Amino acid sequence: MLALSLQIVLNGLTTGVVYVLMALGFTLIFGIMRVVNFAHGELYMAGAFAVTVLSGGLSWPHLPAILASVVLVGLLGAALQRLLFSRVIGNEFNCMILALAVSICLQSLALIVFGPDEIGAPRPVTGVVHLGPAVIPADRLFVGAVAIVLLVAFYLFLNKTRLGLMMRAVAQDPEMAALHGVRPNLIHTAAFAVGSMLAGAAGALMAPIYTVFPYMGELPMMKAFIVVVLGGLGSLPGAVIGGLMLGIVESAFATMLGSTVAALVAFAVVVAAIAVRPEGLMGRRA
Amino acid sequence: MRLRNAALVAIVAVAVGWPFVVENRYITHIGVLMAISISTSVSLNMMLRIGQLSIAQAAFMGLGAYTSTLLVMRLGLPFLLAFPASGLLVAAFAAVIGPIFLRVKGVYFVLLTFALGEGIVLVFQEWVSLFGGNNGIHSIPKASLFGMTLVSPRSYYFLALALAAVTFLAAVGIFRSAVGAVLDSLNENEPLSQSLGVNPLSYRVAVFAVAGFFTGLAGSVYAHYTGFLSPDAFTFWSLVDMLVINVIGGIGSPLGPVLGAILLVPLPELLRDVRQYQMLSYGLLLLTAVLFLPSGIVGLLRKLQRRWLP
Repeated sequence: MLALSLQIVLNGLTTGVVYVLMALGFTLIFGIMRVVNFAHGELYMAGAFAVTVLSGGLSWPHLPAILASVVLVGLLGAALQRLLFSRVIGNEFNCMILALAVSICLQSLALIVFGPDEIGAPRPVTGVVHLGPAVIPADRLFVGAVAIVLLVAFYLFLNKTRLGLMMRAVAQDPEMAALHGVRPNLIHTAAFAVGSMLAGAAGALMAPIYTVFPYMGELPMMKAFIVVVLGGLGSLPGAVIGGLMLGIVESAFATMLGSTVAALVAFAVVVAAIAVRPEGLMGRRA
Repeated sequence: MRLRNAALVAIVAVAVGWPFVVENRYITHIGVLMAISISTSVSLNMMLRIGQLSIAQAAFMGLGAYTSTLLVMRLGLPFLLAFPASGLLVAAFAAVIGPIFLRVKGVYFVLLTFALGEGIVLVFQEWVSLFGGNNGIHSIPKASLFGMTLVSPRSYYFLALALAAVTFLAAVGIFRSAVGAVLDSLNENEPLSQSLGVNPLSYRVAVFAVAGFFTGLAGSVYAHYTGFLSPDAFTFWSLVDMLVINVIGGIGSPLGPVLGAILLVPLPELLRDVRQYQMLSYGLLLLTAVLFLPSGIVGLLRKLQRRWLP
């Protein structure tokens, strides 16, 4: 029983950290710009394709390939914000429609360039690791470790750098931040870039574990959305706690009752959570 | 005004008459899809008019489709009863969940209905004994009305056209009436309307139920026309289709989704030879509409009208 619980928790945590990466970017973009980024899954997909091309096609070593993919997706996000989202910011409905349009365009571009087939990225890490009575695939452990490093880096960025502090100020009170000389345009672009980098990192990390194809972003997008609603839209701690919780709960339900029940329970909880407490577990009342 | 009446007569004549001139089953088929799309998109437009984007609308169409199918196939009810029942069931469902769902607004309502829609589709997929799972339900009986069975696409076109017309007239009627004035006042200044004794929630629930009613009916027509149902016809991406039709046509009036459907439903067929560019053109069209045509085609036409027809 203890071994089983440990296994469930470990499985849950290794998927949970990826949910956290996705959810943090999603919630950051919402918190700062009020954009519900329906294209977040496509940024994940872009990260996965980037790492597949770099490490597979161009045979780069794995870690530099991941880093380059993250940077590329960050640039993509910054460009999207500069060229498109900056024109409709302030209108929640138009932002949502624009994000949908971007999502459709990115998916279809991937379809045109790479085709509809599922392709595999090179697998740099193989084998399993024994942790006490539990067994984890080594590649999952690698993903978890890199994700934790990224999360720590993100935390330090938000709390120790000038740009990160400005971002938090804008999220808390855009008018007050503007009064203190924080330029919203710069912060919006930076937030979109950082949010995209987190999604791109999740995609780049998961590419060797799952297969890579144009529609791969839909599922992680859905998970990010569940996490963010549970944790509170715009709440960063909520995204971390929600992501890890969803990972563990899913892993427990999937082990005991099957993944369909797990998915249905997740939707039911989301509906109940929004209906009862729209601001989420950790959210502030608007 | 005389010009307007003449235009109206011409539109009705074209809508009713073209299937007799163009005797092509395939083009008629597109016409049926277009008319069904008009009902679902105009229903979505009712929700957009009260400022609540309901993502569950596609799943509501599925509820209507499966209700009608199961009533006919399992209980042996005639289509004449199953058809209104499918609309009423969805309306009742919307009326029951509405008081909880419509308390939240904006983005939260979008996310809430997103989860609801995905949940409903998941039930369609997983409850195999009732809904047939991902394999769907085959050989759904054709609709029969007053002793005659509708077989040809043309007969379904007229059924769907009648539904589209009623949906459109209902939307126009609601928003031109006193109820419409109250609904618009809720968008402008909710506390002020409340101070005049309006209960905002009940008005919103009513619109949710009416939109659900017509969407459910459209689902029923769709099911008996295609003769086959599978859950993926009712996912988020079907909602995106309805939404694109609204945004490109213009969300400000029920005319928007009508024009949007007429323009967009044939589009995939026109681009059939370049299938991979079909989705891209769709995305780019949506992008352009949001950035440069915020009130859609209707807005553009109004602008032209003001300039050329003073």
